[in-house]
Amino acid sequence: MPHIPQLADQRILTPAQVALALNIISRMDFLRLKAIARLHARGLPPDIGWDDLLQEAFTRAMVGTRRKPQGVAMVAFLAGIMRSLRAEHWRRAHGGPASKESLRIDHQRDLSRAAELRDPGSDLERALLAREQIEAIEQLFAGDPVALGIIAGLAEGRSAAQIRATMRIAKTDYDSARKRMRRALLREGLTCGLN
Amino acid sequence: MRTKLTLTTPAAALGRILDHLDRELIEASDEEVLEAARDLGMNPLMKGSAAFLGLQCFSFAEFFDSDVLKNLLLERSAAQKSAAAQKSAAAQKSAAAQLIRASNKQPNPRAKSTETRAQTAPCRSKKR
Repeated sequence: MPHIPQLADQRILTPAQVALALNIISRMDFLRLKAIARLHARGLPPDIGWDDLLQEAFTRAMVGTRRKPQGVAMVAFLAGIMRSLRAEHWRRAHGGPASKESLRIDHQRDLSRAAELRDPGSDLERALLAREQIEAIEQLFAGDPVALGIIAGLAEGRSAAQIRATMRIAKTDYDSARKRMRRALLREGLTCGLN
Repeated sequence: MRTKLTLTTPAAALGRILDHLDRELIEASDEEVLEAARDLGMNPLMKGSAAFLGLQCFSFAEFFDSDVLKNLLLERSAAQKSAAAQKSAAAQKSAAAQLIRASNKQPNPRAKSTETRAQTAPCRSKKR
């Protein structure tokens, strides 16, 4: 029987630490991912933190649950995992198709006659949570009317060109607003874990 | 004129905002990350920077310079030595067992022959 050193068991590195140690991501990438995780953790219940989301993304990538396509940058790949984790959580909370809470009217295998019982309060709760988070994001760009306009346009599902046309701003103004937004988001992300 | 009707529930709106801002962060350059850190008085290039708080992390160099790795390597080498010692002890034991088995099956043929010769050899003096 193989002997497993006890010390190794007690000092397990987190998936993020392993990724850093193996040079899968750089320190700058790690900070980028920290900010992205903070962003995606918005709207999720308070018991799911940004670090949970980040560790889960690393775990899925390293265990092989999610495979990185060739040519996709590691940061983009991990961000994609976090995005789908967020969507998965919302779907589950919303009682989506894979939900175990679905109840059939009869016990036959006729899915057309299946009905889902959902908690009507969950939609309201989600809407309130989302509204709160949109306000929090707007607070990040308070004092920057162009950035706020971009956020409003994005919320309505407008493209960059449509936003520029609506706001009547040049591409350079739009791009410098995006740069300011990136900086504000990075600042916010970097302060995670300081409290 | 917009041709597409989009559903704008707060959750859908938040989803769209997050997806877009996520892409903005992916595209952020190293310089932008450093600038944002500098705004907060952080230096991510420094060992133990506050920017990495929230998750204990190791850089590649730090990991290979750390006590964690040294201890792991020491443990592994001790484990390998002990496994090798166990293996060699087991090999010696099995060799000894084989030797015993072999000696039980085929005792020294010369010893037997000498004995046999001594028992069966005719006495020359009697013959005489």
